[in-house]
Amino acid sequence: MLNINDLQASVEGKEILKGISLRVNAGEIHAIMGPNGSGKSTLASVLAGKESYEVTGGNVLFEGKDLIEMAPEDRAREGLFLAFQYPVEIPGVSNINFLKTAITEIRAYKGLPPLSSREFMNLLKEKQELVELKTSLVNRSLNEGFSGGEKKRNEILQLAMLDPKLAILDETDSGLDIDALRIVANGVNKLRTENNAFMLITHYQRLLDYIVPDFVHILYDGKIIKSGTKELALELEEKGYDWVKEELSVQASHSL
Amino acid sequence: MEKGIFNNFYKDLINYFENGLPASRLTEPGWLSEKREAAFNLFKEKGFPSRKNEEWRFTNLERFLADDFKFRVQNGADKVSAEIEDFEASRIRIVNGRFAADLSDPLPDGMTFMDTSAALSDPRFAGKFGSIADDRESSMLALNTAFARDYSILHIAANAIIKKPLHISHIYTEQTGPSFIPYRTLVIAEKLSEATLVETFHSDAAAPVFVSFVSEQQIDESAVFHSHMINTLGENVYFVQHREVLQFRNSVLNNSNITLGDTPLIRNDLNFRLQGTGTETNLLGAYLLSGGQHVDNHTLVDHRMPNCNSNELYKGILQDKSHAVFNGKVFVRPDAQKTNAFQKNNNLLLSNQATVNSKPQLEIFADDVKCSHGSTVGQMNNDALFYLKARGIGEETARRLLMEAFVFDIISRLEIPALREYTAGLLKRKLHTDNLVIA
Ligand SMILES: Nc1ncnc2c1ncn2[C@@H]1O[C@H](COP(=O)(O)OP(=O)(O)OP(=O)(O)O)[C@@H](O)[C@H]1O
Ligand SMILES: [Mg+2]
Repeated sequence: MLNINDLQASVEGKEILKGISLRVNAGEIHAIMGPNGSGKSTLASVLAGKESYEVTGGNVLFEGKDLIEMAPEDRAREGLFLAFQYPVEIPGVSNINFLKTAITEIRAYKGLPPLSSREFMNLLKEKQELVELKTSLVNRSLNEGFSGGEKKRNEILQLAMLDPKLAILDETDSGLDIDALRIVANGVNKLRTENNAFMLITHYQRLLDYIVPDFVHILYDGKIIKSGTKELALELEEKGYDWVKEELSVQASHSL
Repeated sequence: MEKGIFNNFYKDLINYFENGLPASRLTEPGWLSEKREAAFNLFKEKGFPSRKNEEWRFTNLERFLADDFKFRVQNGADKVSAEIEDFEASRIRIVNGRFAADLSDPLPDGMTFMDTSAALSDPRFAGKFGSIADDRESSMLALNTAFARDYSILHIAANAIIKKPLHISHIYTEQTGPSFIPYRTLVIAEKLSEATLVETFHSDAAAPVFVSFVSEQQIDESAVFHSHMINTLGENVYFVQHREVLQFRNSVLNNSNITLGDTPLIRNDLNFRLQGTGTETNLLGAYLLSGGQHVDNHTLVDHRMPNCNSNELYKGILQDKSHAVFNGKVFVRPDAQKTNAFQKNNNLLLSNQATVNSKPQLEIFADDVKCSHGSTVGQMNNDALFYLKARGIGEETARRLLMEAFVFDIISRLEIPALREYTAGLLKRKLHTDNLVIA
């Protein structure tokens, strides 16, 4: 589904991603962990097409198509979704109109007619229950005045509504209390199928207790320095990043 | 001679007043003739204000007054759609400055509307004309005083609580040649009354029209007056408005000033003089400009007495080569202790060929007051734009949604649902979002 090959990217002339390779197949869940500032959000932003990030090397194929060449809206229409670490507040754009516009544009891209009002409302109601988001929030301006947890659940509502092939969740678990975390995790587990895939960016093993990943990758200083299965996350929790760094320097000295 | 504009239009006007006065003028009351004479002399001396006049620094009238404007015989307004859908209101139409009785409704008890002859013959209002808007410096006001062809009075009786809003449609329909339409209204809201006035401005003009509209308003003690202006004028109309509002003790005035048309020139001078204590004044404004439109809003809130509150928020979007001017004066005079005065002007500048001149002007002469003002000129929020695009919304649609949202912030504060709908519709039409399925 997603094939990242030696991806390098910089922002304002500063190199941040220093050659990342990663392959995600349909049906898989990948967790990406790493210390603050290691480039996790940068990777997510580059994949989603944020203009301020410049791709300086490597390539990315999404369902066989060159992702980097695509406009951000086309990436979304092709089935890529990013749940933002910091969702933007947009006063004056109602949550519900926003969702309807997004669905209409994605369907138009695929040559499908817009949903009728009833179809849309039914879909919304169903997905809203999935993330247990109050109707009053759905009718409000997009994210305006939402609490941190409400913003994150709203991201998952959008994810559920747009039904993407690949969803990247950038620290969706941060700032959630345990109940909200369970709701979000349950939502993801219900949305999970053989045909879609998830990339979970997180600092905490806690999320991975609820959503069990197939693979765990550690991103450090713009590179994936270690990959493994779910046990890697547990080990990381126990021993911390210094352990990985030490291992890395041992390897480095061996190869000298 | 002064630093004014003395063009052909000016010369025609001088000649018209001195030599060609219409017969109707001869039957006017003496007090009015005197006022006209004095105003004419002021206008004759000063001419139209040029950019050398500080108040007109950013608005070059000369450019707009190049046509050969004349007083012309006017005809009907059947073709212009001036309705607001689902709006429960009494309707009055003023066509080319003149009250159109056949197109107007009877008014509820406590509310009276008088046309020129009724207004001038009613002894209660003798001498009122020009007594509220009495600025002796303004040659544009003098122009109107000297030449106003039509005059009407809206009177709201003391203690009358009038639930049903009054909707006045101002319609300009010139078809024959460049035409000059100067006219004036007086609003008197008496003690303890409450009323709502919605004024919409429409045009279907094949030839250029230069409108000079003056509205004098007196809001008496403890009266509440809601007033809305929605300007949808088209490409041929040059619109200059002077509005002078006197507010007395404990009165409340709400005004919204929304520009969503295509007219090349709007200049509004909106002055609010707070003559009594405990008044409240809320001003909202919105403008969405495109092409070469030029919209200049000058507002003045003059705190003369203690314990008054004023709040002003104007927001605008500029596209293409448009030009917006905002000059917001707030005066807090020495007697006006315990004043609360807030003012804000926010602009979204979407083209590097568009211009905003935003000047909040706060002058405080009292010490125990709370005042603030601010003005911003910003670009499209790229993070918001990216957020929308990341959900599959195309660039164009995303931009329009954000523009709509910026102005909607003002529109959503209008208290009348039909008015919100109406202005939202105008906004969508202007942004070409009306054909999008986003409702
Ligand atoms: N727009 C930007 N301008 C300048 N530097 C940036 C920008 N965005 C990110 N960076 C820098 O790039 C590096 C990686 O940032 P990024 O946000 O990708 O880290 P992260 O792994 O997501 O961290 P966190 O766990 O704190 O979310 C950091 O050093 C950050 O300061
Ligand atoms: Mg991050």
